[in-house]
Amino acid sequence: MSSTTDSVHSVSSDEFATLIEKELEWNSSEDEDDIESDRIKRRKVEELDNAEESQEATSIAMVPQTSDGAVNLETCLHQAPIFGGMCSLCGQFVKDHPAVSLGYIHKHLKVGTEEMNRIRGSDLKSLLRGRKLILVLDLDHTLLNSTRIDDVSAEEEYLIKQADSLQDIPNGSLFKVDMIRMLTKLRPFVRTFLKEASSLFELFIYTMGERFYATWMAKLLDPEETYFNEKVISKDDCTQEHRKSLDVVLGADNAVLILDDTEAVWSRHRENLILMDRYHFFASSGRPFGHSGKSLSELKRDENEKDGALATVLEVLKRIHEMFFTQEYASNPTNADVRKVLKKIRAEVLKDCRLVFSRVWKLGERPHNQRLWEMAQQLGATCDTELDESVTHVVSTDTGTDKARWAVQHKNFLVHPRWIEAANYLWRRQPEEQFSVNQIKK
Amino acid sequence: MFFHIVLERNMQLHPRHFGPHLRDKLVAKLMKDVEGTCSGRHGFVVAITGVDNIGKGLIRDGTGFVTFPVKYQCVVFRPFKGEILEAVVTMVNKMGFFAEAGPVQIFVSNHLIPDDMEFQAGDVPNYTTSDGSVKIQKESEVRLKIIGTRVDATEIFCIGTIKDDFLGVINDPGASS
Ligand SMILES: [Mg+2]
Ligand SMILES: [Zn+2]
Repeated sequence: MSSTTDSVHSVSSDEFATLIEKELEWNSSEDEDDIESDRIKRRKVEELDNAEESQEATSIAMVPQTSDGAVNLETCLHQAPIFGGMCSLCGQFVKDHPAVSLGYIHKHLKVGTEEMNRIRGSDLKSLLRGRKLILVLDLDHTLLNSTRIDDVSAEEEYLIKQADSLQDIPNGSLFKVDMIRMLTKLRPFVRTFLKEASSLFELFIYTMGERFYATWMAKLLDPEETYFNEKVISKDDCTQEHRKSLDVVLGADNAVLILDDTEAVWSRHRENLILMDRYHFFASSGRPFGHSGKSLSELKRDENEKDGALATVLEVLKRIHEMFFTQEYASNPTNADVRKVLKKIRAEVLKDCRLVFSRVWKLGERPHNQRLWEMAQQLGATCDTELDESVTHVVSTDTGTDKARWAVQHKNFLVHPRWIEAANYLWRRQPEEQFSVNQIKK
Repeated sequence: MFFHIVLERNMQLHPRHFGPHLRDKLVAKLMKDVEGTCSGRHGFVVAITGVDNIGKGLIRDGTGFVTFPVKYQCVVFRPFKGEILEAVVTMVNKMGFFAEAGPVQIFVSNHLIPDDMEFQAGDVPNYTTSDGSVKIQKESEVRLKIIGTRVDATEIFCIGTIKDDFLGVINDPGASS
């Protein structure tokens, strides 16, 4: 109560409050002091007759209601969203009930685990009936690139004048958002991407940025609020520091795909993840990732619209969606899992390749634990440590190793490790000649 | 529910305001301090309608500020459990819907929406009966019953239900479209 510190309420107003509180109770009986307990008692009597019925109802719907639809205050398990600290079933305060905050929907909304699972389950059915899956999208380096205006390099200054109008967001791609002192460039193809993806997926944004930033970016990507309404999850919503988790996403794990350029944050959901090639437009963006050359902005260039990362991944998403509904879901509607489909499609990329690695990692390191080894296997390649007839590719950064020389002698492919990474990002086996070891060296 | 009540408050005033307009200064400060605030007991102070009495000022030791007891009339709004309210829907999602009645924010969980109304996702998410005759979406006006309230310093939260006779949509903006 704000007013108690510096004001004194007159006696009359205190009486008034007590009076109306009593007045408003349903059957305000007798002169009980504790109105709350009075009501509970009254309800208990009402419910004696229906006790068995209501318990059955509890086990099915988890909503402890009597036959007339009223909620039983005593037996409520509070398995409903919590709003302003109150159970939304019975209206009682439930401060200590374990629940995740869904601040991205409403600042004062929380949901407990069981209720979350219930919502996910019932939502999944209607989602799949509508032939849709869920797609969680990262912002930075995936859908767009932002730089602080203070970090704009001399060679990029020209962009500030070229920025598109915030009055006409749908037709722009470069925005200066003074409120957050940011310059933001949308990734080429992103508008087409969102439009087409939204017909196959329910879209979420999930960023490690602050809520204020996330809200602005959502506005730039979705000025009409057709895709991301109430589905912008930001750092403020994360349940663990430096981690993203599907626990705050109102979607079942087996129906979710994730697009993100950062693998590490999704350690618990790697099977849902489609790793994106980073979009670095601004100079300040590439530096922390070790890019020393000129940025796209400084070169006055940009990623290709037609076959850039978003166009490529959209095709993959369409294939996954198609395979999910024609095969996975059609044959097993109750246990259909999009992660299986993702795995299957990924494993087609390098499916007939047999790889041997040569001096890609340090001597003594276990190859099976290496990221590239794992990536190649996920792409469907067979990886080996020893050479034999069936080996198709030797992967090396050095032409001088025995294995590299063997590859040349036997007219097998000798490729740089980036050949695997490229296949991973582009979802297609890349022409080996573009990844010869000499060409890429350094 | 609205009430017209008399409240009392001790107001502190800096001596620089003392003069022929002392009363006006006190009233202006009162309005600024009180209107739009909440108290758990009385609810949301909508407007001050009159000042009944300003008591004798008391000089505070050390500061020179003077404290005046002020008795004033005001309109307050406070929801009560069991009260029926009319509210405007502000947001609809798979968990239920949010609605507002003045300063009061209300959440109605889908558990307390009649079973024959089902959630429909899409551009305008809504709850609709199977025959399509009743629809709750953003901007709909609904009549609901309060089952829980919490009054904070500046905000009032309520849990509501429309799962009872004579509750639900009273004006559907989507009906004509
Ligand atoms: Mg990122
Ligand atoms: Zn409860």
